[in-house]
Amino acid sequence: MESLAGIEKIVALVGAVVVGVFAVISLKGEWNKTGLDDHVTKLLLGLMAFGCILVLLAAFGILPRGGGA
Amino acid sequence: MAVSVAKQGYHLGHHDEHDANHDEVIYRETRDMRLTGFVLFLGTDVVLFSAFIFAYVYLRTSIAPVWPPMVDGHQLPRLDTAFAAVNSVVLFGSGVTMHYALEAWKHALKRRFNLFMALTILLGAGFLGGQAYEYAHARIGGWSGNTFGASFFTLTGMHGLHVFIGVWFLIALWIQTSRGVYDDHRFFGLTAGTLYWHFVDVIWVVLFFLFYLW
Repeated sequence: MESLAGIEKIVALVGAVVVGVFAVISLKGEWNKTGLDDHVTKLLLGLMAFGCILVLLAAFGILPRGGGA
Repeated sequence: MAVSVAKQGYHLGHHDEHDANHDEVIYRETRDMRLTGFVLFLGTDVVLFSAFIFAYVYLRTSIAPVWPPMVDGHQLPRLDTAFAAVNSVVLFGSGVTMHYALEAWKHALKRRFNLFMALTILLGAGFLGGQAYEYAHARIGGWSGNTFGASFFTLTGMHGLHVFIGVWFLIALWIQTSRGVYDDHRFFGLTAGTLYWHFVDVIWVVLFFLFYLW
């Protein structure tokens, strides 16, 4: 089970980097748009990129502080 | 006679053009109203989730002396963070593919749109599968056994229901695109679907932090 958790963390790490990079690229593409839907999209893409940072923190074992599974 | 027919043709053509412009104006005006309505709908969903999230935070910080709580003299284990991290990436990835699907549609790239829509739906269904697996393996008691289980299953269940509805929403949109309901100028349904999908992603960011990282 330990090795399985290790593999999961590697998959999460790589996935979070890839998804986070594409989320930031998408956010950059939306940045100069001014419609209501564009503003909401920017907010949601930014939060999604933040979610990828949280996944990275989990993959590196920084969060949760007590140690995850 | 020929002149009369030509005039009639001119009037019909002029009429059609006028109708098309009128339709365009109506579409633009109602699009803004529908978009505002849809954003307000997402706002009501934020309120709904906030109520349950604050209830969980209150239970955790004020009621339970230790967390995870004790049941029958034993402390419940933490949830599987590594598995949840992978499942989170699957859901966030589907948000990015949905964004690219919408962009492809705007640029009339139909094949790319179909590819990204298929990926989004597959990833969304994959997340639901992962959630079902976690429900089957979580050792935190049932829905009514303790505050941890009750909060976890209520909030993630509510989110899972939103994802489930979202997957069917996207399938319905995909069918509509294949039937020519939208073109590359009029695609409000796809915009709404994309906003909804990003919204369920962002709700998961909060739930992932609260249940797995806090």
